[in-house]
Amino acid sequence: MVAVVPGAEGGHLRQAGIGGVFRAVVLLVVGAFFLIPIIASARYSVLGVHNHITFSAYRSLFNDPSFRSSLWLSLQVAILTVILTGLLVIPTSIWVSVRVPRLRGLIDALSIVPLGVPSVVVVLGILGAYHSILNVILTSPFILAPIYVMLALPYSYRTFDTAVRSLDINTLVEAAQSLGASWNRTLIGVLLPNLRAGMIGALILAGAYALGEFVVASLLSFNTFPVYIVQIGLTAAAEAVAVSLVALLVAFIPLSLVTIFGNGRTKKRSVGATR
Amino acid sequence: MVTTLTRSREEGLPSPPLVAHKRREVRRYGGVLPYLLFLLIFLIIPAISVLIGAFESNNGTLTLSNLRLAFSGPYLHSFVASFELSAGSTIIAVVVGFLAALAVAATKGRPRALVQSSSSVLANTGGVPLAFAFIATLGNFGIVTKILSDMGINLYAHGFSLYSVIGLIIVYQYFLIPVMILVMLGPIQNIRSAWVEAARSLGASKLRFWWSVGLPILTPAILSGTVVIFADAFAAYATAEALTSGTLPLVPIQIGSLISGNVAAGQANLGNALGLGMIIVVALAATVYVLSQRKASRWLR
Repeated sequence: MVAVVPGAEGGHLRQAGIGGVFRAVVLLVVGAFFLIPIIASARYSVLGVHNHITFSAYRSLFNDPSFRSSLWLSLQVAILTVILTGLLVIPTSIWVSVRVPRLRGLIDALSIVPLGVPSVVVVLGILGAYHSILNVILTSPFILAPIYVMLALPYSYRTFDTAVRSLDINTLVEAAQSLGASWNRTLIGVLLPNLRAGMIGALILAGAYALGEFVVASLLSFNTFPVYIVQIGLTAAAEAVAVSLVALLVAFIPLSLVTIFGNGRTKKRSVGATR
Repeated sequence: MVTTLTRSREEGLPSPPLVAHKRREVRRYGGVLPYLLFLLIFLIIPAISVLIGAFESNNGTLTLSNLRLAFSGPYLHSFVASFELSAGSTIIAVVVGFLAALAVAATKGRPRALVQSSSSVLANTGGVPLAFAFIATLGNFGIVTKILSDMGINLYAHGFSLYSVIGLIIVYQYFLIPVMILVMLGPIQNIRSAWVEAARSLGASKLRFWWSVGLPILTPAILSGTVVIFADAFAAYATAEALTSGTLPLVPIQIGSLISGNVAAGQANLGNALGLGMIIVVALAATVYVLSQRKASRWLR
C-alpha cells in the first residue's frame, strides 16, 4: 500500500517546476542553517586564548560535582517519568480500544490538551491549587515526574496509540482468550510483544522530554541538568556551550532511534498487510 | 445444567442479568479512570485554579482588576512583544519550511528519509542547549559574528542583537522549521501526478499550476502548520529565558518572574490573569486548527 503512494518518487513535482536549482538552493541554505550552530558550538567550546585549541571546558565540567549531581537527578526523574508513562499510557490505550471504543475520541482529545496549556501556566496552576496543602510533596524533586508525564502525554500517548490502532487488537484478544489466557497473560504474552515499537517510541519520547525540560524544574527550584546548564552559562560560557553541544548530540541518539524504529516497524507491518 | 443454573440465579437476585451487566459496565469504564484522575489532578484542577485566581482579589472577592492590570501598561506590552515574536517566527518558519518540504518531496530516496527523521528530532529539540549553541554562533563573541566582523560586517554595530526579539526569531527557526516540514511533507507527497499532467495539458504554466491547483489543495495543511507553529512559539520559555536571562519582557517570562517571587505586594493573582491570557491565545489558535482540520478532511474526501 505504501509503495503505490501517488508520485512517491516526486517526479511530477520536478515536472511542476521544483527543479534542480530550486532544490539545491533551498536544501543548501536550510542545511547550512541547521549545521552552522553545531559546528560553531564545537569550535567555541574548544576555543582557548590566542585561538589555541583547548579542552579545558570539557575537563572542568567533568570535575564539577554539581555537573554530576544534576545529571544524576535528571536521570532519576527521567526514569520515574518513563515508568509512570508506561503505567498510565499502555493500559489506558489498550483498554480503550478493546473495551470502550466509544470513549476513544474523548481519551484521544484529552491527550492533546496539555499542548494548549503552556508549562509556565501549569506550574502556576499547580502552585496555586496545591501549594498550601502539599508543601511537603512540592519540595521533593520527584514531583517533577508526574508533571512531565502529563506534559509529554501529547507525544507519548499519540505514539503508542498509533501503534495500537495499526494492530487488529480485538482479534488478538479474542484469540488469546479463547485459548484460555487471562487478561494479564494476554497483555504480557500477546499484546505487548506486538506493540514493542510503539511502546519503546512512547517511552523514549517521555524520557527525552524529562531530560530536557527546563521551565517546570527551574520554577519549582530543582537543580536538574538543564537548570544547571543555565546556571553555569551565567559565569562560564565555554562550559555551557560545551555541555549544550553534548546534550544536543546525545538527544539525537534516542530520538533518531524512535524514528528509525517507528519507520522500520510500520513498513514491515504494511508489507504484511498487503500480503 | 445450564437451565438450573440460571433458574437458581433468578431466584437469588431480583434481576441478575441487569446487575451483572451494570457491574460489567462500571468495570469497563473503570479502566480509564486512572487516566482521567491523573489528568484531573495535574491538568484540570491547576487550570481551574488559574481561571479562578484570575478573577480573585487578594482577600478572595470577585474582581476584574487582575485582568485589567494584565492587559494594560507594561503587561500589555509583554503580550505585544510575545505576539510580535510568535508572528514573526511563524511567518518565516511557514515560508521556509514550506519551500524546504517542496524541495525534499521532489528529491528521491535517501535524503528524504534523512530529512524526515532529523526533522522530527529537531522539532523536539529546542530548550536550553539551543540557546547556548546560538550564543556560540551569533552571540557577542560568537564564531559567525567574529568571522563576519573579520570580513568587515559588524552585526552588533548595525543594531543586531541575538538577545532581542529578532535574535529569538532566528533561534526559534531551529525547532519551528522542522515542524513545518513535518506537517507539509505528507500533503505535498499526496499531490498526484495526474493533477500536474492535467494542468500542464490544459496549457497551465508551472506557476499557474501552483497558484490554481497546488496551493488551494495545500491550504488546510499550511493553515494548521501555521497555527501549531504560532502556539509553539508563543508558549516557548526555556530558550528565551536562557538567552536573555529574563530581560526580554515576554508573557511566559513575566509569569515566570512572578512565580519566582519578584512580585509586588497586592499582585498575587496577576500571574493567574496573565496565565489565563496565554490560555485564551492558545485556545483561539487551537480553534482555528480544529476548523482547518475539519475543512481539510472535507477536501480529501
